[in-house]
Amino acid sequence: MRLTGRTTVIGVIAALTLTACGGADTDTTATGNNGLEKTTLKVGILPIADVAALYIATERGFFKAEGLTVKPEIVASTQVAIPKLVSGSVDITLGNYFSVLSAQEAKMANFRVLADTFQAKPDVFDIVVKKDSPIQSVKDLKGKKISVASFNSIGTLAVDSTLRANGLSTKDVTYVPAAFPDAPGKLASGQTDAAWLTEPFLTGVQKDMGARKIADTMTGAMADFPIAGWTTTEPTLSKYPKTMAAFQRAIVKAQQIADSDRKAVEKVLPTYTKITPDAASIITLGAYPSTLNATRIQRVADLMLEYGYLKAKMDVNPLLVPMPQ
Amino acid sequence: MILSRVARGAAGVAVLLVAAEVAGRTGLLDTQIMPLASTVLAGAAGLAADSEFLHDVSATVEVWAEGLLLATLLAVPAGVLLGSLPRAETALRPVIEFLRPIPSVALIPLVALIAAADGTMKVTVIVYAACWPVLVNTMYGLHDVDPVAKDTMRVFGFGRLAVLLRVTLPSAAPFVLTGVRLAASVALVVAISAELLAGGEGGIGVYIVRAGSGYRIDLMLAATVWAGLIGLVVNALLVRAERGLFRWHAARAGVTQ
Repeated sequence: MRLTGRTTVIGVIAALTLTACGGADTDTTATGNNGLEKTTLKVGILPIADVAALYIATERGFFKAEGLTVKPEIVASTQVAIPKLVSGSVDITLGNYFSVLSAQEAKMANFRVLADTFQAKPDVFDIVVKKDSPIQSVKDLKGKKISVASFNSIGTLAVDSTLRANGLSTKDVTYVPAAFPDAPGKLASGQTDAAWLTEPFLTGVQKDMGARKIADTMTGAMADFPIAGWTTTEPTLSKYPKTMAAFQRAIVKAQQIADSDRKAVEKVLPTYTKITPDAASIITLGAYPSTLNATRIQRVADLMLEYGYLKAKMDVNPLLVPMPQ
Repeated sequence: MILSRVARGAAGVAVLLVAAEVAGRTGLLDTQIMPLASTVLAGAAGLAADSEFLHDVSATVEVWAEGLLLATLLAVPAGVLLGSLPRAETALRPVIEFLRPIPSVALIPLVALIAAADGTMKVTVIVYAACWPVLVNTMYGLHDVDPVAKDTMRVFGFGRLAVLLRVTLPSAAPFVLTGVRLAASVALVVAISAELLAGGEGGIGVYIVRAGSGYRIDLMLAATVWAGLIGLVVNALLVRAERGLFRWHAARAGVTQ
């Protein structure tokens, strides 16, 4: 009886919410929209610099020009972003390649990358230690605790690669999962010996607690490493091909601006994150690629395989959606 | 009497805040990691004028209220049914005790996979967590009905429904309301946890995620203060409702004002 009760709740709630949504998405079948299958797209984002181009595109009316309304929705973690994408709760999400490829291998869904979003540059992902730490170089990390954003992630891959380049291996350190905002506290209190961080935390800890950089993890095998792409699923893409093409055209225009005009990024950052305008002007930004290059994305799959994060060789080509003409 | 209770409560809070402030100012706590209590409180006060944050608060309150309402609508009839059918209760008790401790936050990825919208996902996990206190309290409430009162009604020829409406339900009502009060806090915790873990278009938890990603620990804590205050207000209102509506029960149970 409880079980039927539960099913009913879900049914009732679903009905309620569907009616609620029906009210909101008024113009899904509006005319004069370039033949788009739908005009409102829910896009999963994180409040980080990676997605700056989405806000530039909105600010400059690129989506509007395509007849699109983009509704950003924060998806706090990949563990939730991918289920939300699969259930259709969001149409497109910021997908970090590491997680998307892992989920693809696990057959959670058939993913499609619409456009490249963010690419590493020097000093966007560094390992830092406390000011007075005896650790001077990567070699000194042997037997130490390093915080990473989560296990089995781009963070562990990046640190693995840096360790190997310095003659150590993953077994020589202990990974401590800690969300970026929690990592500085763990480092300061001595719960960890080193932290793998990105912006704005990197600039923050160097300024606030005098933390010292010991390595840039995006070097060697990971130089200019692709970080994330705008990701959807195959069923969503075949259901809304024109809408997705319109999204691609608009976002790529904004990616070009984000990549060439730092001021444009600095301007939108404080609008959707809590990064202050002062911090926005000094943090190190990655690159915003405007082409989706198969050779580049293949590097992610190959490196993941090399470090055991993928079980088999994966051809990324079928996952990449060509730019519409 | 109430005034002195409030004063004592406020004194407790003040001591805690002063201790935190002193710890920060004397360097016992690193203020880069744990901002001063005064900084956090000033931030919390500032949020009252932040329209973006107020929108987040209303989003949280909305899913919270929707979840709590659905949980109540569901769990009260279920509790009445189980409470009046002892054999059904015996049969279902193990299932309830098995499902009850499952943390609903752990169900988020699963529910996100099924729910077609973010709000649905949140309300579902809130309902899951909030229905247990209401259900269990309703069941206990039904057990606690004075058998003499029920028998007296029956002797006078009242049917089962009349006994239920005139004796059982009024007698169980205080327990139900206590269940709802407990569920209200649980629902708030789950609503904000779901926002922290899953995000969404808005919510106090979503604000905390945004503040965290900008390395603004002061704002994360300021928003947390709001979550606590909302919980405090909701609880106080429901306690008042309990006292006002069921004065007779409080008197019988020996609860002082």
